[in-house]
Amino acid sequence: MFTLYIGLLGLVTLAFGLAEILVWAGASPGFSIGILEIAGDDFFRWAWGGAILVFGGLFMLGSLRGRGTMEQFGKTVLGAAMIWIIASTDIFARLCESIPAGEEAPEFFNSVAGFVGGFAPPYSPAILLLPFTLGIVYFLFNGRFDEV
Amino acid sequence: MTAGTYRQNLGDVLGDLTVRPLTGIPVAFAVLYAFWSIFSSFAGALVTDGFMVKAFDNHWLPWLQEAWPDPASIHYFLFVGDPLAENCFEAFGMLTSGLFVAIGVVLPAIIIFYLMMAVLEDSGYLPRLAVLMDTVFHRIGLHGYAIVPTILGLGCNVPAVTATRVLETRKQRFIMMTLLAIFIPCGAQIGVMLEVIPETVGWVMLYLILGFGIFGFILDRIIPGSNPEILIDVPPYHWPLRENVAKKLWNRTKSFLKDAVPFVLFGVLVVNVLYLAGVIGALADLFEPLFVTWFGVPKETVGPLVAAFLRKDLAVAQLSAIAMTPYQMITAVVLVSIYFPCVATFVVMLREGWKELAAAVAVLVAAVFIYGGLIHAVGILMGVA
Repeated sequence: MFTLYIGLLGLVTLAFGLAEILVWAGASPGFSIGILEIAGDDFFRWAWGGAILVFGGLFMLGSLRGRGTMEQFGKTVLGAAMIWIIASTDIFARLCESIPAGEEAPEFFNSVAGFVGGFAPPYSPAILLLPFTLGIVYFLFNGRFDEV
Repeated sequence: MTAGTYRQNLGDVLGDLTVRPLTGIPVAFAVLYAFWSIFSSFAGALVTDGFMVKAFDNHWLPWLQEAWPDPASIHYFLFVGDPLAENCFEAFGMLTSGLFVAIGVVLPAIIIFYLMMAVLEDSGYLPRLAVLMDTVFHRIGLHGYAIVPTILGLGCNVPAVTATRVLETRKQRFIMMTLLAIFIPCGAQIGVMLEVIPETVGWVMLYLILGFGIFGFILDRIIPGSNPEILIDVPPYHWPLRENVAKKLWNRTKSFLKDAVPFVLFGVLVVNVLYLAGVIGALADLFEPLFVTWFGVPKETVGPLVAAFLRKDLAVAQLSAIAMTPYQMITAVVLVSIYFPCVATFVVMLREGWKELAAAVAVLVAAVFIYGGLIHAVGILMGVA
């Protein structure tokens, strides 16, 4: 079951990473489906960030061989860490942009509604993947992998 | 006597995976991504754009323009700058641009930079990065621990020059010091670049990284001396201690406030005096053929280049006000970066030895001339210069 979960998560992460790079490269002008958005307008976020998601996906898929060993679980954690890095920096960027009021506003701080609105959808793929990595966190603390 | 058994835990495995090239290099890319993302979100979007620009442009500048007497006087030009300026970047007075750059742009950039640097050091990741980079750095006559002055230099070149002492031989220290002075832009400069020319920062950094590699490779071949192997002690991963991180952050920020901020304020003053005395105009006329023909940038960029000796960040801000094509802007900013170390770095390099400084300056002059011309040539070949 855990193998299937990691395999699926790895595949989706890989696909999202490739999609981010392709959108940045001009394959699409950027798209938004429901709460998912890939803007693709910035090399740093979408090409570099996309490559990190690709590596994250590859790490998880690479960890499927010889499951149960500490080394393979380490690769799974490293793959999840790639998602955590992109998602947490995306959330931090939203936080930093939501605290101050807009450039034209006379006041310094944003209103509560404006601040909360800064966290409204659509979200980047990494943020959407974040809850799905909780399974890895669960195994990290309860999977007793340090006894392998 | 009994021997204990070694039980590998997840921390050991992760520590091992992050020094193996196949898994370690992607992780290094991810860590650098996080580093720069947090840097630009905190220093750029939150502190500078969110609060400092508003505080300085909407409150401090109008108040100073109104309160300071006699807008036609020399002291007004020196301290407040342009009486019609609508923002602190354009005013170029010591108390407007100087204070804004020092407190509004550079200080937040330095604080977040050194905070993340301390976390990387104390978590045990930096020694792993040194192991990963060892092979790469050996190709330019250095070893893995050269990553410490390189990353420190991205904050401020002053402590970075001092940190070159982690390298063993005179040859290594000279190469590192020279490459730092030429190809590593400080946090102040990066902060201003992100603020005024965000769309070209990537290209500027790419040219600087390429130059770092090319000139390091050449210096390694022409400078006599050895490049010994080192043994790096890699500690296990651990949570950084809050007290240690806070102490490092405070010491480094204090050192920046003491060593660099006076240079920012004094630098604006000196540049304004040079403009008033006509020195910058005369230099612009003198160097016009070199700049226009060889480097492919407008004559007006000579002024910011002279100012760059005092403050590179201010020089970038000055460049942003000159009408140029995007490629000319990239060339001009790369030239500002490689042209000369700022005065503060110059003084620290002098402390390391005047012979090394003189040799570094000679390399620097050659690098500016060759690399500046090369960038222009690339632009001509691409049809963008």
